[in-house]
Amino acid sequence: GRVTSSDDGSALPGVSIQVKGTTRGATTDAQGQYRLSVPANSRLVFSYIGFETQEILVGNQTTIDVKLSSGTQSLNEIVVTAQGIERDKRSLGYSTQEVGASMIAQKSEPNLLNALQGKLAGVQISGQSGAPGASTNINIRGITSFNGSNQPLIVVDGIIFSNDVNVSGNTLFQAQSANRLADVNPENIESVNVLKGPAAAVLYGSRASAGAIIITTKNGRNQNNKTEVTVNSSYNVQNVYGLPRFQNDYGQGTNNLYVNNTTASWGLPFVGGPTSITNLQGETRPYQAYPNNVRDFYQQGSIFQNTANIAGGDANRNFSLSFGNTTQKGIVPTFKFNRTNVQVGGESKLNNGIKVSGTASYVQTVQGGTALGNGGSAFGQLTRIPRSYDLVNEPFQDANGQSIYFLTTANNPNWAVRNLTLNSQVDRFFGNFTVGYDVTKWLNVTYRVTGDTYTDRRKNVNNIGAARAPQGEIIQDQFFRSELNGDLLVNAKADKLFIEGLSGNLLLGNNINQRQSQSQSVYAQQLTIPGFSNVSNGSVFTSSGESSLTRRLVGYYAQASLSYNNYLFLELTGRADRSSTLPRANNTYFYPSASVSFVPTDAFKLQSDILSYAKVRASIAKVGRDADPYLLNSVFAQASFGNNLASVAFPLSIGGSSVPGFAIGGRIGNNGLTPEFVTSQEVGLNLGLFKNKVSIDAAYFFTSSTNQIFNVAVSPSSGYDTRTTNVGELQNRGLELTLNATPVRASGFRWDVTLNFTRIRNKVVSIAPGVTQSGITGNGFIGITSSIVEGQPYGVIVSTANPRVQNTNPNGQYYDATGQFVGQYVINPTTGQFAPGLAGQVIANPNPNWTAGLNNTFSYKGFSLQALVDTRQGGQLFSFSAADYRSGGSLYVTGIDRDQPRILPGVIQNSDGTFRPNNIQLPAQTYWAGLGGLASEGAVFDATVYRLREVSFNYTFPKEWLSRTPLGAASIGITGRNLYFFAPGFFADPEVNTQGAGNIQGLDLNGPPNTRNYGVNLRLTF
Amino acid sequence: SNFLDESINVTPNNPTAVPPSVLLPTVEIGTAFANANEINRFASTIMQQTAGAANSPATYDVYQTNGADFGNQWRFELYGGALVNAQKIIDIASASNSPAYTGIAKIMKAYAFSVATDMWGDVPYSQALQGEANPQPRVDKQEDIYKGNTSQNIQSLFDLVREGLADLDKQSATRPGNDDVIYRGDLAKWRRAGNTLLLKLANTISVKEPALAKQVIDQVIAGNNFIRSNADDFNVTFGAAVGSRDPRFEYTNISSFKDDLIMSSRYLTLLQGLNDPRLPVFWTKPAANYVTWDNGQSGARPTPVTTWSRYNSYVTGANGEGPVRLLTNFQRAFILAESALMLGTAGDPQTLYAEGIRASMTLAGIPTAQIDAYITANALRGTQQERLAQIITQKYIAFTGNGLELWNDWRRTGYPTQQPAQNAVGIDGTRPVRAVYVSFENERNTNFPNPAPQSNVKVWWDAN
Repeated sequence: GRVTSSDDGSALPGVSIQVKGTTRGATTDAQGQYRLSVPANSRLVFSYIGFETQEILVGNQTTIDVKLSSGTQSLNEIVVTAQGIERDKRSLGYSTQEVGASMIAQKSEPNLLNALQGKLAGVQISGQSGAPGASTNINIRGITSFNGSNQPLIVVDGIIFSNDVNVSGNTLFQAQSANRLADVNPENIESVNVLKGPAAAVLYGSRASAGAIIITTKNGRNQNNKTEVTVNSSYNVQNVYGLPRFQNDYGQGTNNLYVNNTTASWGLPFVGGPTSITNLQGETRPYQAYPNNVRDFYQQGSIFQNTANIAGGDANRNFSLSFGNTTQKGIVPTFKFNRTNVQVGGESKLNNGIKVSGTASYVQTVQGGTALGNGGSAFGQLTRIPRSYDLVNEPFQDANGQSIYFLTTANNPNWAVRNLTLNSQVDRFFGNFTVGYDVTKWLNVTYRVTGDTYTDRRKNVNNIGAARAPQGEIIQDQFFRSELNGDLLVNAKADKLFIEGLSGNLLLGNNINQRQSQSQSVYAQQLTIPGFSNVSNGSVFTSSGESSLTRRLVGYYAQASLSYNNYLFLELTGRADRSSTLPRANNTYFYPSASVSFVPTDAFKLQSDILSYAKVRASIAKVGRDADPYLLNSVFAQASFGNNLASVAFPLSIGGSSVPGFAIGGRIGNNGLTPEFVTSQEVGLNLGLFKNKVSIDAAYFFTSSTNQIFNVAVSPSSGYDTRTTNVGELQNRGLELTLNATPVRASGFRWDVTLNFTRIRNKVVSIAPGVTQSGITGNGFIGITSSIVEGQPYGVIVSTANPRVQNTNPNGQYYDATGQFVGQYVINPTTGQFAPGLAGQVIANPNPNWTAGLNNTFSYKGFSLQALVDTRQGGQLFSFSAADYRSGGSLYVTGIDRDQPRILPGVIQNSDGTFRPNNIQLPAQTYWAGLGGLASEGAVFDATVYRLREVSFNYTFPKEWLSRTPLGAASIGITGRNLYFFAPGFFADPEVNTQGAGNIQGLDLNGPPNTRNYGVNLRLTF
Repeated sequence: SNFLDESINVTPNNPTAVPPSVLLPTVEIGTAFANANEINRFASTIMQQTAGAANSPATYDVYQTNGADFGNQWRFELYGGALVNAQKIIDIASASNSPAYTGIAKIMKAYAFSVATDMWGDVPYSQALQGEANPQPRVDKQEDIYKGNTSQNIQSLFDLVREGLADLDKQSATRPGNDDVIYRGDLAKWRRAGNTLLLKLANTISVKEPALAKQVIDQVIAGNNFIRSNADDFNVTFGAAVGSRDPRFEYTNISSFKDDLIMSSRYLTLLQGLNDPRLPVFWTKPAANYVTWDNGQSGARPTPVTTWSRYNSYVTGANGEGPVRLLTNFQRAFILAESALMLGTAGDPQTLYAEGIRASMTLAGIPTAQIDAYITANALRGTQQERLAQIITQKYIAFTGNGLELWNDWRRTGYPTQQPAQNAVGIDGTRPVRAVYVSFENERNTNFPNPAPQSNVKVWWDAN
């Protein structure tokens, strides 16, 4: 038969045809044709996104032509929910959102999470930078755990898939590591379904308390006994984007003097200044501006991606093969990201009723990076290049390969990107094997085993002369991780349960889980032979080490689903877990959920041309979460002191003998830990309007996380840094909204709009008795602490704040009885600078006020144009780069009227306690430095940004053009990514996040900049 | 079940119990590291032995310091390093009847606490280091830390040292050997060091509390068991390899921050004025002349950096061995000279003063004839204050490389008299007289005053 559109009679390719009650089915080809052999009296279900689903009784017909009418959008879709259970979307009492292949593939972006940016309601995705493979953070419905991972659980084809970020060394200085979801090839993804709340994900247990992302890769289902080969190729270029505007009037120096070893541009003007200067090497150089000395440092990067898929089979037996390769070169020489994926999969239904299926995947991912961060790295220096330094053309190394630079505390960026390198090679296997058996018509038993394991072999080389390791060092790291899951699923269903119209489904399950990881590092210091990057070149190995983790969990779960006349649904679940990481007395914990869904338009026959569909839903769920391993005891660790200024690490070598040394670990253990819990309530509404041309999905949720397992900060003078305990409460309330509409569909032209909106309010309700703030675990600079603070959202940045005039405490400092100057900065009457700061103040909130994405797709005949704009409103960024650019006098604004004195905003306290406006004039350098140094509120900026995230234009060749070729279909397209942004409150791109995926957000600590990508792609089907 | 056996959650990565012998090196090295690392970069710079050519030292040089400074020293080197591990040794060794370890640990603990209180004034002391039992310890007054306060249950530093000395006289089940990187387990030397520490502590408070200081010093003199030979110096020796070296060697010769510090022009002027033979021993001269920088000076730094005068091997060791000199024979002599002059304790100021110079010069390898000539040329003369200035100035020279001692003496006595740095700014243009509480502690412990006292507020014993 043939399937066409009832609107304009055009052929509909890719329509899914399923024999009702079976997994047998087919899809239409490019002409809308399909072929399917079925038993007599079968019912065929024709479904196609954007069209109303039709059911047709086959009877004796041999040809069934169907006209599908448009309008029904995502209303009768089958979605994959927790544990791979396929459900009719209308039956769900909680929120899920699906993103199809067309919105993921060919987006100039090799990382799936980045490709999802701006497309999901309730989900916050923040990329780290334009560095290849740099990790991307994702949080669904806010932060629910003080200390644990707030990243959702990732499930790929039923496999619990590690999205860990394995960090070598310190996140403040080290090259950016990938989040391991980067091992998935976006071109091989069929669909992504996001299970947003705990209710949706509760069957996965603890680890899905932050939501789950269910990824389905392309398989051979519904190939209708045909084998199809699809080839995708794309080539993109990548350029640095988002640098600030610089001044080009004043050169290197301070206090209007030339200084040969400063990063600042507070020196002499170019006009009227000297014609030449002598640099730190004693050489003469012309004294002039180099306007593009930062921009031209970067090279053009490229991303070349090729994927081939082979799929075939029918409803009973199918197979798929996929091969993919991505080769990315970054914007600096060492940046690269190369990934090769191979996947095989298949399923078969045996005659005895047993169904077996499996997939096996191998990925090799090679990532190349360079050190970043404040200090000696290239990116730490690129924000501090004097305007008169010819970064591009000055020699960067001497005859011995040693860095030449105007600053001896750092390396020349050109040297650094070539000599401070981190290369990682991940070899990863993952796969599943499932065997199922229909015991009776109503009872199915299935066992599924999944495994995911990888090794990441890393070599971090800091060549001799590196600022952080002047005598050179080589760190050979090996990470190993494995996870095994066994799930027994017993599924019973009843079509007629007690009364007519009531059907039910009962699922019982058992999960056995083991996660192991190990890292070993050989740390070779004090190298002898320049350029020899083998650990045998080291003289000192005392910092070498190992770390292993094992955790296990056994879970039992049950789900009962009831459906009444397909318009009223109830679902109850419960899960009990036993975890190895909790004390024996507290290691078993149970948590339930309940959800209802009701379709009044069906129940009360309310359908009209205006209101086509309505569904209300509600859910309540509780999810327990265990601890990380090994938190129960206090431990000792090998001792070390110092930082990059100077350091010692035990065992020390003193006078030819080795002296071991251990120290108390900074954390106080707790043998009485109990699980933490997240409870969530959600109500939602789905509406289909105007014959479902417009559909709306709205949700309001409230989550409360209690009994948090957290390392509470203790006073360092107690001798410790933190103590592990169950504390506090964290709340999230939020609104998410998705709107789909097809405003125009006429004579082959179609315009689709998708809008999503997210607003989440997070609040730390309480921490621990006597504790009102505490730092979040992770690397940080002293004085700039990502924190939890009572009454504030999660992750606020605590630092030193400039004192302000107040009128609340008459006995306090800076009290203004008149109230006239309340809120103004207090100025030191001696210096004209801000008065000494108050430590421990909240200076920035990195959480956005709201976010939204708007996607438009226009299609006409074979042409389609898609454009995604998104915005993040509010939230703040703490930026070292900004502080560098501004206090160093290289930012454009610091060049304006530089010879004029300036006055910092604020007031001065008189001797009688009253205030007067500040009138102390400062030179430009003092003024701009005073406005904001590194650890001050002056480095905080509004992170609001509007972005043209993605544009793609595709052309599908008409079928008739291909009739003499072996091609079944062909399309060509161009795509662009991050083409334009507008940030009203910041002079560069605020979407940077140096520490990558994790709980510490909103810090720009001299990481790589973002990039703009664009290119072409080609898709061929044979 | 076995699958979830409790052994699964026992960490294979860290020990949960250790003997005191692996904690002692941590305590000793941690104390020396605290003294010689950032605290020395700060104090030697504001005390004008070094000048800040870049980065933090350049900031210190114009008297800027705030709660972001010395976080590592407070958190990791003192409280979370030397101090808590000294306390742990006391706990473990008490339980295993090893007073040789508890005695050493108490002396080390007193030394490290003196560093903390001399830097920051009032600090957590009697309630510190108790972990979970007291996650926000009280801030004890410096006066109580030095003098003790029975009503508040605060043991004086003097009594802590005395308790340690008493422990050293007891029978001990185990005794330190090579794990004691200071004295290799020689408890006789530890007794001398403990008594000399009493002298140092008394000397520190001698302007504020002369009677108490005199009483302590008299007692130590009467006991007659203190450091009186350079061979008994309480020195922490480091190693020559990466990860084992004296921090001063690292940050003047190796690390990327090695060009932050250069010899101060004022120090050069002082030593050249005295025709001091220790100058080339203490400082390098890679070029024809010493290349120095004035404190707080702005403008292009001298080039090339390879010509700069830096700490010589006397301070840093030839390859980073140090030692860090925490209590020395010359220091003891200068303390007794000062006490004899100011407090009337036993001994002749001139003789003790000469003994101090001789001890220092001997350490520096100066020939006897030159030492004699120098002592003759620089004999004590003038008023009591002038003679005090001479004693402290000689102590200042002898203690080159231990900035905290220089800063303590200057705060107590005002000597050596120095001009403010060029371009001085800071809180009010004056030299800091205390370190500002680290902001980390302010964030975590509500017992701390916020805003913290600024760097121009004197500590208790700074009574001049």
